[in-house]
Amino acid sequence: MKKFHLLWILTAFLLWSCTEKDNTRPSEEIKIISLTASENPVKAWDTAVITVEATGDNLQYNWEANHGNFRGGGKQIRYGAGECCVGLNTITCRVSNSSGEVSDTIMIRVTSYFDPKNK
Amino acid sequence: MLKINAFLISSSLLFFIIADKTSAQCCSSGNPFISDAEHPALQSQVLTSSLTYRYSHSSQYFSGDSRFSDLPFKETSYSNYADLQIGYGITNWLTLQAGVGYFFNKTLTTAGLDPYKGFGLGDAELSLKFNAYTNPEKRFSISPSLGVKLPIGVFDQEADHVQLPITVQPSSGSFKYTGNVFISKGIGKKMAVAAFLAYEYSQLIESDNFFYKYGDQWIGAVYFNFQAGKRLGADIQFRNEYRAKSTREHNEIVDATGYNVIFFTPQLTWAFKHNWYLSAYSDIPIYKYYNGIQMSFGYSFSARLTKKIDFIALKAYQKSKNYDVLLRQ
Repeated sequence: MKKFHLLWILTAFLLWSCTEKDNTRPSEEIKIISLTASENPVKAWDTAVITVEATGDNLQYNWEANHGNFRGGGKQIRYGAGECCVGLNTITCRVSNSSGEVSDTIMIRVTSYFDPKNK
Repeated sequence: MLKINAFLISSSLLFFIIADKTSAQCCSSGNPFISDAEHPALQSQVLTSSLTYRYSHSSQYFSGDSRFSDLPFKETSYSNYADLQIGYGITNWLTLQAGVGYFFNKTLTTAGLDPYKGFGLGDAELSLKFNAYTNPEKRFSISPSLGVKLPIGVFDQEADHVQLPITVQPSSGSFKYTGNVFISKGIGKKMAVAAFLAYEYSQLIESDNFFYKYGDQWIGAVYFNFQAGKRLGADIQFRNEYRAKSTREHNEIVDATGYNVIFFTPQLTWAFKHNWYLSAYSDIPIYKYYNGIQMSFGYSFSARLTKKIDFIALKAYQKSKNYDVLLRQ
């Protein structure tokens, strides 16, 4: 019986561990004015500078991408991706403060290092 | 039997409930393969517990089977990783195994730039190993196994509010289902050969703006074991790891994924008193083929400490000890 209880505790732990948590609330106070990239498309291992312009007080900027890497932080960031991330990638910028959060996305195409158009 | 049924029901329930609730990202493959972890199924009421430490290092990009040196930067990737595995023989034909990995660091350095560093829990693993056939006289056994890897670890780690690259995220972010078979045959008193074949299927990761599926993985290995002394064992392993290409949004195949690597893994194991074992081994790639351009596997060193407890033998020993005490009285 003890083993059975242990199994359910383990199951509950795994369920808790694997559940997505989203505690953010939308903000009426923050407005994203623009989200732009210096280059698009970008060759694999080259970089593009992505800039977000937003209004609001004490803003914090979070950056995510489904494929690719970032360098830097704040309202301007450098985005690059290797050959594994060739394709149309989504970069998400979340801007937040104590009032909540808003987000916007920009699509950047990463082309192959071997793509003849890049040469 | 009731216990086994309870386990199977709850495990199945678990898979169905959590199968679509992972957050999403791409390109990493989670815990590394622990290359000396395969053994025949355990006997009833035998417990093994192993703690493995592994250092791995990579610094070369490969395209096809050759080194690719045209990139205008130098990157190095290394990690310090620990893996805890527990196995228990529920019956003589069924062994339950569980494991979890932890990355002390998973670091990517680029010359002249700040390194990316991720750390934390990797994936967990649950598996059932069956003693399909065993012949103690001929020292021959066949042990198939079924399992699942659960992405319980960190997959969206950030530094200064900026998401870290997927290559340094500790978890793979994907449920993986595994099936394998381990065959072992003793030759004479001091030698054994073994073969291992494993298949891993990764579940599609799907969310609002993300769609990614790791390619299927096949691992085939041949082991040669030699008992060099009463306490010293030596193993030589040749292992082929093949991973197919991944797919992403719109079922697009990701060309620069998937590989075929052959490893040579020498290993030494020292058996201490009271069923403690210490192993040291290294994974050395002797052939590498990577699709597109990819960071290739460099080398790894591992040390593994294992404790084995045979509860039936332990009870018998304690019983005989009590009997001796009674006799003396």
